[in-house]
Amino acid sequence: MTAAEVRTPSSVPAPSAPAWRAVPGARLVWLHWRSRRVPAAVLALAVCGGVLCAALRLQWTFNSGHFAQELPMIVEGGAAAVLVITTHSPFGEAERTASRWLPSLRLGTALAMTGLAIGILQLGVTGVSLDGGILVLARNVLGVTGIGLLSSLVTGGLLAWILPMGYIAFAEYALLQSWTSPWTWPVRPPDDRGAWLCACLLFAIGLAAFTIRGARTRLADDS
Amino acid sequence: MTAVALPRLSRRRPARVLRIEIRRSVALWAVPLLLALFYCDSFRTAAGFPPIWTVRSSVITDNMIADFGPLAAGLAAWVASREGRRKTGDLIATTVRPAWARQASALGATLFWLLLAYLAGVAAIYIDTAMQATWGGPPLWPVAAGVVEVVTFAVIGFTAGALFPGRFTAPLAAIGTFLLAEIGFHAALQVEPDRSTYALLSTATSVPLSDDGVFYRVAPDLAITQVMFMAGITVALLGVLTLAPVFRLSYRGLLSGVSRAGRWLCVAGVALLAVGAAAAATGVALAGTAKLSVSGWDIPALHDAASDQPVPYTPDCAGTSFQVCVHPAFSGFLASANAALQPVASEIAGLPGAPVRAEEVPSGEGVRAAQGILLAGLPAAGLSGTPPVYRYNSDDGLAPFMGSPAGTDNAGWEAGFRQNFLTAFVAGPPRAGQGADASVAQPTAAQQAVITALMTAVGSAAPQFGEDMSNGGPTAGATPAQIAAAAQRFASLSPAARHAWLAAHLAALRAGTITLAQLP
Repeated sequence: MTAAEVRTPSSVPAPSAPAWRAVPGARLVWLHWRSRRVPAAVLALAVCGGVLCAALRLQWTFNSGHFAQELPMIVEGGAAAVLVITTHSPFGEAERTASRWLPSLRLGTALAMTGLAIGILQLGVTGVSLDGGILVLARNVLGVTGIGLLSSLVTGGLLAWILPMGYIAFAEYALLQSWTSPWTWPVRPPDDRGAWLCACLLFAIGLAAFTIRGARTRLADDS
Repeated sequence: MTAVALPRLSRRRPARVLRIEIRRSVALWAVPLLLALFYCDSFRTAAGFPPIWTVRSSVITDNMIADFGPLAAGLAAWVASREGRRKTGDLIATTVRPAWARQASALGATLFWLLLAYLAGVAAIYIDTAMQATWGGPPLWPVAAGVVEVVTFAVIGFTAGALFPGRFTAPLAAIGTFLLAEIGFHAALQVEPDRSTYALLSTATSVPLSDDGVFYRVAPDLAITQVMFMAGITVALLGVLTLAPVFRLSYRGLLSGVSRAGRWLCVAGVALLAVGAAAAATGVALAGTAKLSVSGWDIPALHDAASDQPVPYTPDCAGTSFQVCVHPAFSGFLASANAALQPVASEIAGLPGAPVRAEEVPSGEGVRAAQGILLAGLPAAGLSGTPPVYRYNSDDGLAPFMGSPAGTDNAGWEAGFRQNFLTAFVAGPPRAGQGADASVAQPTAAQQAVITALMTAVGSAAPQFGEDMSNGGPTAGATPAQIAAAAQRFASLSPAARHAWLAAHLAALRAGTITLAQLP
């Protein structure tokens, strides 16, 4: 074998790949999503949407009044808890030092997953009456996702679901006690400015912190 | 060749593994969150109830389960999916300890922290209640039902985590169990005998009547059924976990799977599954036979008739010529009740049918149904007997014995108590309104005016009467302004003149034949 042969490009075609994967950016995004188990998360969000649909159609809950928000709130908070698990990176430090696109990928993935969660849940309630409508649904998902993103900085992505679930449990109590504080946004009416401000602020802070720092990664994270 | 003595497996090894699991359990990190949730939700809710043991203990199976249950399921699912997430199943399969022993340690360590936090919460509620309660003792059945429910939630999550290991299993298990608990709570709010089996199997309840378990003991029938149902589910799921290795090996043939997993283990798994399913099914069947009685939900197969007997007590009373009595469990409310009733009692003293005593009687649908007095929403309270006694209950619509006794120290509560007393005296026994869904009819216009005048005479705030305009006009037959003017006129009379007029016209006033214009 001569050096000339090595320099000559092989005539054997490379294994065929979808055209979109050949685009470097798209491939990077796809690999990032796969490493974060985004496809499985979408499936889990679909399950949440299905459960919400079943809860409303089969009337597992009341149609109006305080109690009407209880079950949707659990599913919305649960969807947020599911999506924050995608913040976990299996690569740890190695990925942080090697990829300059990482913050952009984190930001894009978190935004896309949040939007997808709202979309899937809204799809689940199409044709049925959801107390508070999409505004309350979106506000709950945004706020609880913010809590989850902030939590992921401390606990790591895999355990970031715990604090959002705790908040939802507290919000259930606040709902029954008719709390009016803006930081108990799940119990406030759809057009409550303070509640929107709290939920969006928390989401923005969580998103910014997660984009810059990423979820906590360490060897013992997967314990 | 020398024989090397292999060290025998120490009997302490399982305990050591459990200790290590407890020390490294992820549930430990959730304990501060659980305790914070407990304080914000359960403890504050219990503190808002009157210091009655049965009432406050309802929080243990209601709010505390909503706080602890979902997180218990999520954390247990997280722990159970450890081997699957790390893909160490094959590696660990070669160790000397069987899979069930590893799983038992992991589950035991998770339950250790969860139950420790749960029981610490129960202790906090009971200690706080003991410092305020004036009668009775801590009920233990709610604690048993709550502990079994937390264990059941954890085992549901653990089974999900072991069978479907993955990073999303834990939050999905938490959401699923949270939904189960809330659906149970919603069902409990609309519970009906013979039609609400799921509601009765759920330990969640609506806020109990404030004298639950005071005049009659709460029968443990329902708690026993709930424990049986939940323990059955737990045992059945443990059977599924025991049989899980067999299911995984099934592609090589069931027999070889059984052989590898160990025959005795398979037998144990099948037995657990069968026993658990039988216990859960029995629980469902028993709950279907529940009916409401004086002691709460009565399940004939489990019921002890002795629990239907009233609990003996000596009432706490205040006053001399007119006595105000409460059940000793409500001693904290006696001073407020006495201060509210004495002035109005002296206003009507000596009139025909004036009560010589006010005493507390049981409230509640169960009690009323058993006494045959559950009639179109009519309350059991009112004037009766010879000499007449005013009977009221702690769930009186206007001035209930709810919350802390300190909360009764206000003009609104006092006015409500006086209004009920005077309404019973002036308007006579409550009458049902017209129509299929009628509630208690309001007093007539003249009766309302007299009640208002008597309350004004003792310096009380004006009473609040409902105004039903459904027939195109006020039920009382006059506008509030007309009633207020007549009341002012009557109140401006001297006490002796009021007394004399009432003595002469009380029978007609009670019969509803006196009009506003006839009032002096």
